[in-house]
Amino acid sequence: MSGSSLKILIADDSPTNQKQLEAVSRRAGHQAILANDGQTAVDLYQAESPDLVFMDVMMPGMDGIEAVRRIRALPTDKWTPVVFYSALDSMQDIVRGLEAGGDDYLAKPATIPILQAKLNAYSRLLALQKKELGYIEELKSWRQDSEEQSRLGAHVMERLTDAEGLRDPMIQSFNLPAETFSGDLLCAARGPGDVLNVMLADATGHGLSAALSAMPLTQAFYSMTAKGFPLSSIAEELNRKLKALLPADRFVAATLASVDVRNQTVEVWNGGNPDAVFLATDGRVSMQWASNHPPLGVLPAGLFSSTTETVVFHEPGQLLLCSDGLVEAEDREGRWLGLAGSLDLLVAEDDPERRFGALRLGLERHLAGRAGRDDISCMLVKVPIERRRVVRFEPPTPTHQGHVAEWQLSLAYSAPELRYIDVVPAVLGFMTQVEALKPHQGTLFLVISELFNNALDHGLLGLDSSTKNLIGGWEIYMQHRSERLAELISGRIALSFLVHEYEGRAVLDIDVSDSGPGFDYEAQMRASDLAANDTQSHGRGLALVRGICSDLVFSGPGNRVWARYPL
Amino acid sequence: MQIASEVAGNKATLNLNGRFDFHSHRDFRAAYENALGETGVREIEVNFRAVDYLDSSALGMLLLLREKAEATGKSVVLAGLQGTVKQVLDIANFGKLFSVKG
Repeated sequence: MSGSSLKILIADDSPTNQKQLEAVSRRAGHQAILANDGQTAVDLYQAESPDLVFMDVMMPGMDGIEAVRRIRALPTDKWTPVVFYSALDSMQDIVRGLEAGGDDYLAKPATIPILQAKLNAYSRLLALQKKELGYIEELKSWRQDSEEQSRLGAHVMERLTDAEGLRDPMIQSFNLPAETFSGDLLCAARGPGDVLNVMLADATGHGLSAALSAMPLTQAFYSMTAKGFPLSSIAEELNRKLKALLPADRFVAATLASVDVRNQTVEVWNGGNPDAVFLATDGRVSMQWASNHPPLGVLPAGLFSSTTETVVFHEPGQLLLCSDGLVEAEDREGRWLGLAGSLDLLVAEDDPERRFGALRLGLERHLAGRAGRDDISCMLVKVPIERRRVVRFEPPTPTHQGHVAEWQLSLAYSAPELRYIDVVPAVLGFMTQVEALKPHQGTLFLVISELFNNALDHGLLGLDSSTKNLIGGWEIYMQHRSERLAELISGRIALSFLVHEYEGRAVLDIDVSDSGPGFDYEAQMRASDLAANDTQSHGRGLALVRGICSDLVFSGPGNRVWARYPL
Repeated sequence: MQIASEVAGNKATLNLNGRFDFHSHRDFRAAYENALGETGVREIEVNFRAVDYLDSSALGMLLLLREKAEATGKSVVLAGLQGTVKQVLDIANFGKLFSVKG
């Protein structure tokens, strides 16, 4: 390969020599630039930046040695070979030339074939250099792109993970990235019923690609939590989204949990993460949720299972979620910390408040200063027992002053919709578009879900609330509920809402009726009186609604209820 | 990781050896594409007997293989599951996605 055309600087004060070199260069397809003395050679070198230089030593004014010294002193980012072509050919002359910065020394006069061969050799070397410079440039630009993408990824991830919800006093967490930023994602937010939803997601791989897979999750998680969707619906939507967006080899292992302090339940969906663990105050593991599902984004909607596992807790404790990075964290000898090891670190501390710190410190010791091979993330959620479980909500202070625009909404759902639709979040979606109702979203969610669930559970499904008082009764009740709901083929629930002014004040009237045979609402009301004194676990819902609304009236055989809510 | 592939009748076996992670990407793809190209092959067995670790990108590669195999009417069987490998596949519930052979 002779390479492409070169620009060759020829510095010689003898026209004969100039012509000889010029002819050889031109014949080989190169371009020649001519200088008669050292100073001109330096000037032309700077102006033309040639690829190769032939330099005579003895020239008028600045000689070739000095010219090469000056050329070599110029800043450069490529190698330009300089060949001395001189009649001075003693050992001393050659050494002096090479020391000044020459690469080669050719004695004058040289034959044309020798000159041609030299030229070809340098042409090959320069072609090689050009190729390498090309690679270096390409690498540089790849690196720049990659750094830019990392910066972008880190920025977005930081925004996504720095969510207000994680600053909840019930939550402690850490997220240690294996690279500059983590592909693990922690989210937490409270739903309208004050239920705390948390998510710990671990995307395939690390770095930007992992972050890209985790990103679509946050928006759906936060918006669905805010609207009060159940955990199973959230899991379903996250899976649907990832399956639609990601290629087959990308997925996200995730644990979703919902902590409902009012109903004393913890609900978990775990797809591909290590066990979630409920740790009692005394350090016992009282519940463990193993991964029951493939990770999010693997299965198509038809095969995906959003079945969650719920337990009722009767003692306070802590819920631990972690990514496999914690379990597989290696010490110097390559031993994994393990889930058991992590739990040991936690319970080594008697005081639950200090357990998280103990785990963090123990992990650091285990890693002994090295970064984990995988992102390591962990979340510890405090699960308290509230002393007064019932009327946590005082009747809301009326917020609406002056005139309120009248607004009315009527909805009816029949059996097929009741089986598949999350009615309460859907209804709340309509209502929160009304300015006067916006500030009441949280309490309205409670009221509407209690009234709606009463109509569904007792009116249409014929469930008996007192089952909940038995040991393990809550689980039995929920089991019956999902079985009967799946079999529901007829029935109807109608809801209507009216915002208007009553005695000069803005109010919301809520009317819920069902097609069921009605139920003994007087017994329910008595139960709610008892529940207010915290002696039993059913009837609490109704007590809550009575605490919030100014009026609550059942009518007919008990299949219709009317409530007035002050705005 | 080393991969030794063999084809016997209508079955191709990929015997994996070592650590199955992101760095095995190219080798694993080359091995299974070979097997997918064999028209007589109905079943591709991935044998993990000599695998000591696999990470989530390895799980991703298995899912990709599954997708491509389905498209060509072949089935994928995971075999020789033990120790950590079995644990990782269990946590990801891959038993629900692949046939598994002891």
